[in-house]
Amino acid sequence: MTTNAPALWILAPFGFGVLLLFIRNARAVSLLGGTLALLLALTAQFIPIETALRFGELSVKIDSSISILGRVLLISPAEGSLLALIYAGSSLWFFGSLAAERSTRVVPIGLMITALMVAALAVQPFLYAALFIEMAILISIPMLSSLYTTPGKGIVRFLIYQTLAMPFILLAGWLLAGVEASPGDLALAAQSASVLGLGFAFLLAIFPLYNWIPMLMEESPPFTVGFLLWILPTITIIFGAGFLDRYSWIRSSPQLISALQSAGLLMVTTGGLWAAFQRHFGRIMAYASVAETGFSILALSVDSRLGIPILFLLIPARALTLALWSLALTIIKENAETLRFSSARGMLRNTPFAATGIILATLSTGAFPLLASFPPRLALWENISRASSTSAIWMGIGIAGFLVSAVRSLAVLAMADEFASWKPRENLPQMIMLGLGMIGLFILGLFPQTAQIFLAQLPLMFEHLGR
Amino acid sequence: MFILITVGILLITALLVLSARVFLPAAGYTWLIAVVGAFLAWASVFAWINKTDRLQFLIWQPVSLFSQSPTFVIDPIAWAFALSMLTLTLSVIITSVVRSNFPSALSWVGALVLSSLGALAAVADNPVTLALIWAAIDLVDLIVQLRFVEEPTLGERVVISFASRVTGTMVLLWANVASAAQGTTLDFHALTSQASLFLPLAAALRIGVLPLHLPYPGRSALRRGFGTVLRMISAGSSLILLARIPAGSIVSPLTPYMLMLIAFAALYGGWMWLRAPDELTGRPFWLIGVGSLAVAAALRANLIGAAAWSCALILCGGVLFLSSEPNKWLTRSLWVAVFGISALPFSLTASGWSGGTGFFLAWLPLLLAQAMLVSGFIRHILRPPASREYYEDQPLWGKNIYPVGIMLLLAMIVFLGWFGWNGSFQFGNVIAGLAASALTFGLTWFAPRIRILNPVRAHWVRPANLTWLDWLYQSVWNIYRQLGRLSNIFSNILEGDSGIMWTLLFLALFISFFTQRIP
Repeated sequence: MTTNAPALWILAPFGFGVLLLFIRNARAVSLLGGTLALLLALTAQFIPIETALRFGELSVKIDSSISILGRVLLISPAEGSLLALIYAGSSLWFFGSLAAERSTRVVPIGLMITALMVAALAVQPFLYAALFIEMAILISIPMLSSLYTTPGKGIVRFLIYQTLAMPFILLAGWLLAGVEASPGDLALAAQSASVLGLGFAFLLAIFPLYNWIPMLMEESPPFTVGFLLWILPTITIIFGAGFLDRYSWIRSSPQLISALQSAGLLMVTTGGLWAAFQRHFGRIMAYASVAETGFSILALSVDSRLGIPILFLLIPARALTLALWSLALTIIKENAETLRFSSARGMLRNTPFAATGIILATLSTGAFPLLASFPPRLALWENISRASSTSAIWMGIGIAGFLVSAVRSLAVLAMADEFASWKPRENLPQMIMLGLGMIGLFILGLFPQTAQIFLAQLPLMFEHLGR
Repeated sequence: MFILITVGILLITALLVLSARVFLPAAGYTWLIAVVGAFLAWASVFAWINKTDRLQFLIWQPVSLFSQSPTFVIDPIAWAFALSMLTLTLSVIITSVVRSNFPSALSWVGALVLSSLGALAAVADNPVTLALIWAAIDLVDLIVQLRFVEEPTLGERVVISFASRVTGTMVLLWANVASAAQGTTLDFHALTSQASLFLPLAAALRIGVLPLHLPYPGRSALRRGFGTVLRMISAGSSLILLARIPAGSIVSPLTPYMLMLIAFAALYGGWMWLRAPDELTGRPFWLIGVGSLAVAAALRANLIGAAAWSCALILCGGVLFLSSEPNKWLTRSLWVAVFGISALPFSLTASGWSGGTGFFLAWLPLLLAQAMLVSGFIRHILRPPASREYYEDQPLWGKNIYPVGIMLLLAMIVFLGWFGWNGSFQFGNVIAGLAASALTFGLTWFAPRIRILNPVRAHWVRPANLTWLDWLYQSVWNIYRQLGRLSNIFSNILEGDSGIMWTLLFLALFISFFTQRIP
């Protein structure tokens, strides 16, 4: 029996997502979507691509490519672990959506977005990736807003900025083809690199193009925005790393290293500083997401033999932290009407699991020891300091900003009225999901090697980076 | 292996006590389980003597990224710290029989878990391991305090205290990063001079010496017993860092200034302790005062002295805070603890003034601070029995078992002073010890005669009275608020109606700035 990888990890989840749109039972949608994502993750991790497996009389082989309309979707054998990581992360969100009571929106569209983003990584020529990413952006809009309300400014700006990325990437692809044809044309190379940089600046919401993120967090459901803030930058950054791998002249450019470091530091530092002054829990998470992307960009700026493993180590920590954080915010929002400090004051006594989840997630972003983001942050910080002490100081300022933000959040959440009693209002699924998320943060923080089952083989997906 | 045995016993005991509390709430033997477990763990620490056991958990991977993984190692200093902390835990559980809230299984569970973390901090072999244990202790401390604190103002103090300790942890991590910048790995066995100055700073931040603040609310419900374990183990696990700094590695032009700051903190702690109305109200000042002496010893490259002051902080402080019964003989026996912190020959702190001279100008305030601490200690011992708590309703066996807990701590003060580590049982710096004792005598004699040396009313000791400190913190807060306004203005510009244009403008500025930097 032969199947092919793109059909299994792109077409099937996309089709399944469409089918789930017609199911109204939230629990069923969550369980079906979560289970499918988990199965896809397990399959990707344990069943090799392009290798025939024999089960008694039955022989199974997964081909790596499929041709559609003259284009090729290609998933190489080395990308199995990446698919596993992406679908495992998605399953986390889909199961969590039950506790967040957002299943009917997040799961079907989330599955489609995941499939489209995987397609963006798999499509050849890579130029078409921009189209898949744009499709993912467009179908995410119904997740964020209702048909019956006017979309907020954050949604409009999200759409504008992300859409602006598409022409830049397409143009860069066209220019890069020219550079390949005449490698000596330095002006053309510079132009294509600049256009490509602008495209990624829009896609990754690099400073100062990230102002839609806090706006979106204020006006849209935190769980939904959290999912987008996880999947879009994560896959985009891997897509970007693919460019570095493919073009040696970009990879070896000292200007690029400098640009990546500057952009990453700007995002980490401004994200941390802005977070330290916010009075809205959602906006703090927004800036944390900005900084997370900054950390990933910084990882790309260090020696790729160390930077690429750090980049991959950041991914599970980001997924878990954002999932826990957005679920906790959803629960707090249910109980406190808004996520402003003034509304959520003293919520530690009413929603102790959610409040603890917020505090731990913020601390984790601030590289607090014991928590998931600590090992990758520490490794990155050490490597950055080897390159430049000044950069290490700026990164430290960003981290300090998140710690200040965590302490402020803690102060607000703990500031109950005198002798207010402890009355947890979370339901059982919410407690279980939040509890599991918190345990996960501690496991990844204490034993980062547990993630190596997914991460160890990931650098092999690149031909040059990380070697 | 030995580390696992001790920590394992503590954690299993905690689990058993918790299970008994949940499933057999009427069981009368919970205390016995806690005592037996704590005793076995305490006894197992004696098996550490003359051992160099090393325990490494699973190595962090990929190894190319992590030069250090959580590792624990037993050495004489770690042994002394662990013994001090476990003695305190055992004593707290033993003496809990006379407390009004007996039986209090949850507080025993907390004490056992905290002491297991304290023991792990004592044997931490590298900064990353210590940072992990500190983080665990901070989280336990935070959870316990938030769970029990009722007053909103005290909740604020809890958060400030947590923030200060987290800052200490981050300073330790920064020392790690600073070492990496110099191409080395921060290791307790070999420190760069740049990184070594950060370690006393980290310890000082964690015990509340820098910036000066009260690490624990003065009127918390967690007073004797568990409160003592919480404070002492938290402080002890922070001070272990001082004993890990390799001798002679603190070489910095900033050292004299830091020593002066620490001397000032010691004076402040000593003065407030001397005038505290009772020992529990004054406990934060005890921590600041003795902790400062430990940090100052480390800055003078006297690492054994730092360890001695740290053990004295735990044991001598512990015995005073646990003594609640107005028993004449027990009260007299507390003079052993006074000897322990006197820095006189053969006392626990005899090595406290040994070693490097450091910055000479700092010696006088430090000696005066020690004298205030000892004098305050004496005053708390000599307080009239009527002002002490007296639990008449406790059973007779409880009253008989209570002195065992107190005597155990006193015995350990003598034992560690004589056999604690290489270089214990020494004359030390006799001149400094005698000078501090003379000053102590003077202060104790003058105390009833000079009004300013008399205790202040309890509410005066609260942080609300520290107007100059408040002014300082208020200034910092004002700066923070101004920066917050600035950030809000910037956010509003970018998120307003004209935000897209502003964003593109900033983008253009950023690109032009960046292209100018590139040749």
